[in-house]
Amino acid sequence: MSMFGAIDNAGSGLVVYRKWLDAVSDNVANINDVKSTGENAFQARYVVAQARDYGNGGGAQVAGVAYGNAEGRVVYSPDNPLADADGNVRMPDIDLAEQMGQLIIAQRGYQANLSVVDRARDAYAQALELGK
Amino acid sequence: MSIAPIAAIANLAVPSVAAPLAATPAAAPAPDFGNLLGESLDKLQGAQDKSDGLAVQAATGDLTDVHDYMIAATEASVATQLTVAVRDKAVGAFNDIMRMQM
Repeated sequence: MSMFGAIDNAGSGLVVYRKWLDAVSDNVANINDVKSTGENAFQARYVVAQARDYGNGGGAQVAGVAYGNAEGRVVYSPDNPLADADGNVRMPDIDLAEQMGQLIIAQRGYQANLSVVDRARDAYAQALELGK
Repeated sequence: MSIAPIAAIANLAVPSVAAPLAATPAAAPAPDFGNLLGESLDKLQGAQDKSDGLAVQAATGDLTDVHDYMIAATEASVATQLTVAVRDKAVGAFNDIMRMQM
């Protein structure tokens, strides 16, 4: 644990939530991707957070990315140029409302870690006022 | 009324003073203030270098995490304030000793 342990831990949390925001933005951007039924649909990205070096320093990190359902939803869309003989296409199985919920959680988590940085900075600055 | 003459003081025990112990050399030289200050200045230099490197990354568009630079700048700022505070205390102590009445 270095001199700025609290700030370093909050910084690792900020990286996790930044990556979560990236994943949600990717999911929302690709929510209307259309594929033919012979291909896999766009798979939603979900970051997997875990403790970094638990009990020794602390902090969080992204262990990896979990992928959503590759089958997606088969949608009847005969006008689509990618439609098969039955007029079906494959679209991602992503719920926009759920992604919005995740977006809010990720944003609030990012804000919370920023507050930790701010409060820790204030605390250290006040410690320097000691004895003045 | 007779006054007792002054008699020799008998049984005067002079407390023996133990011989001063031979100065034992310290096992390891304790880190003096100069070394501590030098080390903290090195750490401060490291924090400033990290902050400067991230500032260059921000300018060139290579910075992936915005907060990385802000955190490095904050840490460098607080470390600088701490070093300055320690320096002020040391100079203050020196001045106090210089003003001491002889």
